[in-house]
Amino acid sequence: KNTVFYQLFIPHCSIHLSLYFLFTNDAEGRLHQSQVAVFLLTYLGPPFNEKDFSPPRPNSTALSLPSAATRLELWHGLENQARLAQNQKAYSVLLAAVRELARSTLCPALKTSLLHFCTGLDGLLGSISALMTTLGYALPPPSANMEMRPTMNDFAKKVEGFWILRELQSWLWRSAKDFNRLKKRLRG
Amino acid sequence: MAEKMIVILQYVAVVYPQDPVLRIGSTLTASCWVHPDLGVHASSLFWTLNGQQLPSSLYRVLSPTNLSVTLAGLNASRQTSGDNLVCHNHKGHILAGSCLYVGMPPEKPVNLTCWSRNTKDLTCSWSPGGKGETNISTQYMLKYKLRWYGKEKECEDYTHTQPYSCSITRDLHLFTPYEIWVEASNQLGRATSDVITLDILDVVTTDPPSGVTVSRVGQLEDQLSVRWEAPPALKDFLFQAKYQIRYRLEDSQDWKVMDDVGNQTSCRLAGLRPGTVYFVQVRCNPVGIYGSRKAGIWSEWSHPTAASTPHSERLMSGSCDSKSSGDSNSTLRRELKQFFGWVRKHAYGCSSMSMKLYDQWRVLMQKSHKTRNQVGSPRG
Repeated sequence: KNTVFYQLFIPHCSIHLSLYFLFTNDAEGRLHQSQVAVFLLTYLGPPFNEKDFSPPRPNSTALSLPSAATRLELWHGLENQARLAQNQKAYSVLLAAVRELARSTLCPALKTSLLHFCTGLDGLLGSISALMTTLGYALPPPSANMEMRPTMNDFAKKVEGFWILRELQSWLWRSAKDFNRLKKRLRG
Repeated sequence: MAEKMIVILQYVAVVYPQDPVLRIGSTLTASCWVHPDLGVHASSLFWTLNGQQLPSSLYRVLSPTNLSVTLAGLNASRQTSGDNLVCHNHKGHILAGSCLYVGMPPEKPVNLTCWSRNTKDLTCSWSPGGKGETNISTQYMLKYKLRWYGKEKECEDYTHTQPYSCSITRDLHLFTPYEIWVEASNQLGRATSDVITLDILDVVTTDPPSGVTVSRVGQLEDQLSVRWEAPPALKDFLFQAKYQIRYRLEDSQDWKVMDDVGNQTSCRLAGLRPGTVYFVQVRCNPVGIYGSRKAGIWSEWSHPTAASTPHSERLMSGSCDSKSSGDSNSTLRRELKQFFGWVRKHAYGCSSMSMKLYDQWRVLMQKSHKTRNQVGSPRG
């Protein structure tokens, strides 16, 4: 069972970025959801843990992050600052969302797992911010307090949790490519 | 009612009731309301529960925008996050959902037992009183107070390693009894366990003995000597400890227990099998601490220590070593010696009779036995 780590080492500043994919490769190279993802989906119960399940995406503040999916030419042409800023904004939102997910979980073992995952996300966010500062880019101001959340019932919260996991998976996949691109651009 | 109206305006569809908590076996009628602007008729909708479609025989069209479903004899929730009751349009897309929490009110928690490790803390564990309470989120609170005075306090350190247990680590009073109980509560009700009264000094346990060593007793093939040290925490106390040893064969599950070990820190095991590996463990009981008249609580067993008894001398008789087989016939040799001595004295012409001659004869017999067994060799 291989957990794939991606490491980026920028020569100009000794910041070490590591990413934990929410997927792992098995011995035959097939992609599987990692333990945390499976744990969370099992906790939510069917149909959330069923193959190809896709509920409508809610329009909540927890999911007000830039989309990982973007057209190839747009993504390719992103300036370093914009590229890093998108990552920074995405993980700020995702970290707060996963923290809230952990807080509202009734299963203590899953809560611990999610909180542990949050420390990884926190580290990643810190590294991105530090990289931006070192390269002379201004950090965006912290987003406004998310106090005015509309009251969602528990099922709606589950759908939101499902989408947070999905966005997390998309962003971790995309960030690997972002940092690869950054490495090339900063070297050349 | 006004709140409900606001909720409806925000959403495309709503399932009512939202997130109900229900008793196992009860009946629920839920309804799916769709916004008129959606252009969907209630008869085209369908329900699923935990991903399984519910039969339309359970549905009732209440109005063009409202479809209900009736679930009788509800089973306990499949997951503690709630059963997923979902309303779908005819294409199967999710319109709205609600989480059902099906369980039972808690029953009196049972098996409340407490113990103190070296009088430094008090840990209690209990079991849920009923079955259905574990299907929904149920909180357990360990409470305690000093018997004749003192306010009711709550235990704060709930260990996640062991469910249903809690440790009190501060402000422990000795020489005064405590009253301890557990309160269980969930959204269907609450229950309180019986109160137990105890004096911390009556429920003291300690660590297992350290430095357990098991060694042979010289060449004795049926004995092993066990040595250990009193747990260091006991030095704080002025009392006698009791010990117990248990041992078993390597590939057996039957333990033999030595009970009357008393206050020593060594003991000899006897009547063992020679040439065998034994696993040995020791545990400790702090007895009569500070004048307590109750038996203390036995500690955990120490980690198993292995040792083997020496092989028995007699067991070597089956081996192929000619030297040793000579040794095992010591009785025969003694008798022969006596015989030759007598022959030399009384039988004229046999003065050269000796053990040396006997051994030479044995060698000759072995050699001729080999040639006799070769194919085609004549009898020598």
